[in-house]
Amino acid sequence: MKRLVAIAVTLAILLAGCQQAEVGEGKIKVVTMSPRDMVEQLKLGGIDAFVAWEPFVSEAVVNGNGKIIATSADIWPNHPCCVVATTEKDDRELVTAIVWAHVKATRFINNPDNREKVIEYAMEFTGKSREVVDEAMKRIKFIEYPDEEEFVKYFENLKRGGYLKKSVKELGYESEDDFFQDFLYKDVYDYVNSKLAENESWVPEKVNKTVRVGYLTADLHQLAFYVAMKEGYYSQVGLLVEAKEFANGVMEMEGFKNGEIEVGYLGGAPATLKRVNDDVRISIIAGANSEGSAIVAKDASSIEELAGKKVAIPGFGTVQDFLLRMVAEKAGLEITT
Amino acid sequence: MRLKGAILLIFLWYLVSAITELPHPHEVAETFFILLFNSEPVLGKTLVQHAAASLLRVLTASLLAFSIAIPLGIVSALNRTLAEVVTPMVEALRPIPPLAWIPLAYVIFAPLPNTVQVSQIFIVFVGAFFPCFVSVFDYSRNVPEELLEMARVFKAPERLILRDVVLPHSLQGVLSGIRIGLGVGWMSIIAAEMIATSGEGLGYFILVMYEVGGRTAEIVAGMAMIGVIGYLMNTLLLKAERLVMPWR
Repeated sequence: MKRLVAIAVTLAILLAGCQQAEVGEGKIKVVTMSPRDMVEQLKLGGIDAFVAWEPFVSEAVVNGNGKIIATSADIWPNHPCCVVATTEKDDRELVTAIVWAHVKATRFINNPDNREKVIEYAMEFTGKSREVVDEAMKRIKFIEYPDEEEFVKYFENLKRGGYLKKSVKELGYESEDDFFQDFLYKDVYDYVNSKLAENESWVPEKVNKTVRVGYLTADLHQLAFYVAMKEGYYSQVGLLVEAKEFANGVMEMEGFKNGEIEVGYLGGAPATLKRVNDDVRISIIAGANSEGSAIVAKDASSIEELAGKKVAIPGFGTVQDFLLRMVAEKAGLEITT
Repeated sequence: MRLKGAILLIFLWYLVSAITELPHPHEVAETFFILLFNSEPVLGKTLVQHAAASLLRVLTASLLAFSIAIPLGIVSALNRTLAEVVTPMVEALRPIPPLAWIPLAYVIFAPLPNTVQVSQIFIVFVGAFFPCFVSVFDYSRNVPEELLEMARVFKAPERLILRDVVLPHSLQGVLSGIRIGLGVGWMSIIAAEMIATSGEGLGYFILVMYEVGGRTAEIVAGMAMIGVIGYLMNTLLLKAERLVMPWR
C-alpha cells in the first residue's frame, strides 16, 4: 500500500507539469522543423513565421504564403552559412583539386555573363520554378571563403548560449586560436587564389582519385557543387565525384564520422557544433555562401508583432536560431520553447 | 534477486562504457537528477516537463482508444455477426506498426490546425487500440458457455447477463488491455515525437540533444526517464488490477 501511495504521488508530480501555458506575452515560441516543412506549415497555419535559407524563403514569398520581415543580411551582415569541409585536410593534392573546382564554380556563378545558365542549373538542382530561383538568387552571396571574424562571432554565440559541451583544450588544442587555425583551414584556398590571380586558366595537377562528396537536398546555397560537376571542373583535375545526398547537416556530419564521405557541402552550424561536441575531425577548406537566410512571416510585418507567435527554426544552435535570437533581443522579446 | 539484477545491469553498463562512448552510469545518474527539476539550457525545460508533455499526449490518445476498443471488444464477443465483420478488419490493420502510419497521418490531418499534435495523438491511438481490443475481445469471448446458458434458462434479461456474467469475466481482459495498450502507446509517442517537431516531449528532447551534439548523458537520461515512466505505469496498473479483482 505504501508503495502504491509513493507511485501515485510521483505520478501526480509528473502530471502537475501538464498545464501547458499558452505562449506568454512578450515571448516567441520556437519550434524546430526542416525548411521544407516550414513552407508547408506556414501555409497551413501550423506556424506563424519561420527562419530558413533559400530557396525556401523565396518559395513562401512567391507562393504568396508569407513575406520577408527581415533578411539575414540586415540582421547579421556577412554571417557564415554553407561551407566546404573535409576530413582529409592533409591530402594537399586532393584539397587543392576540390578547392580549385569550387572556386572556379563560384566564379562561374558570380559572372553576370552566365546568368541564364546559372538560373537553369539552379532550377535543375533545387527542382524549383524559375520565379522562385530568380527571387532566391537575389539574396545569396556566393563566396569562396567565409569571413573568419564572423565565424569566430558565431562560435562565441554558441559558447555563450551553452551549446558547446567541450572546450578547445579538451579537443587537444592549446588555445582557441590554435583550434581555429586547424578548423578554418585557409592555406589551400590562399594558394589556389594566388595561382589563379597569376594565371586565370591555371589548373592544378590531376589527382586521379575517386572522392565521395556529401551535399544537402535542394539547398541552393550549395549550387557551386552542382555547377562544378556540370561544368566539368572536377574531371579537369582528375576527380571522380561520388555525390551523396543528405537530408540535413547533422546527418552529413554523421556521414563524415562514419567515413561515408571525405568532402562535404554543409551548413557552418552543424559543422561547428559536431566538430566541437562530438569531435568529428573536419576542417573548413572553403566557403559556399554567406547571408541568404530570412525571417518569413504569415501576417506579422515586424519583429515586434511576433510576440506570442510560433516561429520555426531549422535547429537549435543553427545560424538561423541566432538570427532570431538577435532580433528578438533587440525587440525586447524572449524566446521560449 | 531484484537487487542482484540491478547490480549486474550496472556492472555490464560500466563494462560497455569502458569500451564505447556510452557515458558511465554515475554520469547519467547525475545528469538525470539535475535535469529532473532544472531546465536543460538548449530547450529550457526540465525532464519532468518533457515527460509530462509526452504523458499528456499518451493519456489523451489512449483514453480515446480505450473508450472505443473496450465496448467494441465486448460487443463483438457477444455478437457473432459483428465479430465476423470486425475481426478481419482488426487482423488486417493490427500488424501495421503505429509508426508506419506517420506519413499518412500527416497527409490526412494536413488541413487541420495542429497537424503534428493531431497526428501524434492518432499514432498513439493506433498503438493503444489494437492490443486493447484483442485482449478485451479474447477474454469476453471466453465467458463459459454454461454460465450464459444457465442465465438464459432462468430468463435473465440481457442487461443482467451483461452486467453479472459477461463483464466480470471480461474485466481481466479490460485491465490487461489497458495495461498493454498504454505500454504500446507510450512507445509510439516517443517515436512519433522524434519524427516531427513537437516543441516538448521526451522523444523531442532526445532528438534535439543528439542534433546539438556532445550530449550523450542527456540522451541516456531521457531514455531512463522513458523507462522509469513505463515501469511506473505498468506497476501501477498491475496494482490496480489486484485492487479491482482481489480474487485473482
